[in-house]
Amino acid sequence: MALGRFLLKRSLQGLLVVWGVITVVFLLRFVTPGSPIDAVAPLDATQETRRAIAAELGLDQPLHMQYLTYLFDLIQGDMGFSYVRGVDVVGLVFLKVPATVELAVAATVVAIVLSIPLGVISATRRNQPIDYGATIFSLGGISTPNFWLGIMMILVLAVQFDIFHTSGRGVTSFNVATSILGPEPFFGTLIDWLSYITLPALSLGTYFMALITRLTRSGMLDQLGRSYIRAARAKGLPETLVRYKHALRNTLVPVVTVLGLQLGTLIGGAVITEAVFSWPGLGTLVIQSINLRDWPALQGSLIVIGTSFVIVNIAVDVIYAYLDPRVAYD
Amino acid sequence: MVSPRVIRNLKREFRRSALAKTGLLLAFIVVFVAIFAPFVAPHNPTTQNLDNSRQPPLGFTRTVESTSSELVNGSVVIVNETKQVNATTEHPFGTDSLGRDMFSRVVYGARTSLLVGILGTLLAVTVGVTVGLTAGYKRGRLDDILMRSADISLSFPSLVLAIALIGLWGRAAVEVPDPWVVLGLVDGMPREFVLPGTVIVVVGLVNWVWFARVARGEALSIREEEYVKAARAIGASDLRIIWRHVLPNAATPILVLGTIQIAAIILLESSLSFLGFSGTTLSWGFDISQGRDYLASAWWISTIPGLAIVVAVIGINLLGDWLRDALDPGIEGEGGV
Repeated sequence: MALGRFLLKRSLQGLLVVWGVITVVFLLRFVTPGSPIDAVAPLDATQETRRAIAAELGLDQPLHMQYLTYLFDLIQGDMGFSYVRGVDVVGLVFLKVPATVELAVAATVVAIVLSIPLGVISATRRNQPIDYGATIFSLGGISTPNFWLGIMMILVLAVQFDIFHTSGRGVTSFNVATSILGPEPFFGTLIDWLSYITLPALSLGTYFMALITRLTRSGMLDQLGRSYIRAARAKGLPETLVRYKHALRNTLVPVVTVLGLQLGTLIGGAVITEAVFSWPGLGTLVIQSINLRDWPALQGSLIVIGTSFVIVNIAVDVIYAYLDPRVAYD
Repeated sequence: MVSPRVIRNLKREFRRSALAKTGLLLAFIVVFVAIFAPFVAPHNPTTQNLDNSRQPPLGFTRTVESTSSELVNGSVVIVNETKQVNATTEHPFGTDSLGRDMFSRVVYGARTSLLVGILGTLLAVTVGVTVGLTAGYKRGRLDDILMRSADISLSFPSLVLAIALIGLWGRAAVEVPDPWVVLGLVDGMPREFVLPGTVIVVVGLVNWVWFARVARGEALSIREEEYVKAARAIGASDLRIIWRHVLPNAATPILVLGTIQIAAIILLESSLSFLGFSGTTLSWGFDISQGRDYLASAWWISTIPGLAIVVAVIGINLLGDWLRDALDPGIEGEGGV
């Protein structure tokens, strides 16, 4: 039951961090110039009206009471009300989550599928043309702003050749699944989906592709020089097995660590990629909320982003322990 | 801190690696251009000339199709005209949608990027190293509290946190007089340089955690060294030990991380100014966003500032790789947006 205890312990730690995130987000409102009342009150509101609004919003309460109310509401799944948009924040935020998750997962999959083989090939053919190519690609990839890369893709693949859609989401992956798995399999939806998601996923995934290629290459070079690899070869294991089962598995440990640390970059990158491709996700919501001065929606989005970050980090720790049994679940 | 051995390693790695040479060259160009921007730029980067907008860069032409109608003998005749706009050496990188010289804007953009990168990193180093060294040296309750707050800070993606903070605090900017122009050494260039103050503070605040983690790790091991124990035994104060003994011995990994963080912060700054969250309009990211509306007719407005970012960031990353390989501080120095 080591895994169970580990999960419990990490979840409790994660809960503590989430609580911190919520506290910081709550306090953000108090370092903001302007009163939340201004967002609600009409311009010509009298003192009476303003006081009534303050009471309605609970702003006449002392700070610790406001904080407790905020926490209590959150536990009940109430993130407040967006006065600017006239809707509940919870519905607003969770409506946007699937789009961002879809984009982030697509980018990660593209990045991992292409980068690990590239890194392995680059390491096993050291100082050959393909290695130089991979090195230059990965150096460029970690040095290119992803929003600019997205614009360049739009310029070349969409403006010049008109192959891909450059804005919006089109169909969801859920639509794709239902149309393929339905009674009459239809693949048109899949192609439609691809025409929307390819450019955003590539532009978001390139940085990670480059980063993982770099890490895989240096990790493989390190592992392939070790004595257990010589031993594996000496006992006559096929080279493929030596490379992919032994060396690669040990290489993946630091790769997973860095990926875990870089998840924030992925989510941050998703925000700006969404802005470039008008992808209707959390990032777009964050930016719109700032421009509309919709603080409750901003707070709700930040809490969801922070919490999902904590959850994914726990998942990374589990994968980490699976890859490297020496890392006890502790 | 800078021992002869360090210098020797740096030199040896530099001689061996073509990438290190490239990095130093690129970084030098960017720094030079940023410092001497008023001399390098051929035009004032903010001067508009609507008669000469969207002029293509050298080697390219732009085709303009215009339709006009004329009255000929009482009937309307529609005239389709195709005109070629040619590049001139006066604007080697072309002009933007308001006729401003792209080359000069790229030159001045280097200033913004580099200043935000360096000042932001300095702030992050100051906060992060102070917190990290204190936490690692003191251990105990203080360590727990400081590192848990670092965890919380890490739970917000830096770009999201930066956007949120700038959204809340506003886009304050400081106008700094340009010394070259004030001294009268060069004419016709902007007298003031706009420093995006909020952006610098924010990028520093969202990146301090990386330094705190590295500094803490170093302090944890250095505090067990004999020379620290000896200093403690003769009654040196904690502050003195941290300042005189722990910090100098933790300097190498902090230096390497700092170099790579400058590149990461330049990318972060370009993202922020692309989204319109910067206090200045003289920035690579801002120009990229301006060019988006003209992708079909004037591709260079978005393309060229982006290339400038790539060149600058590659240069600094290569410099970081060189320092890391030569000094081998044993850290994973990848930092991102």
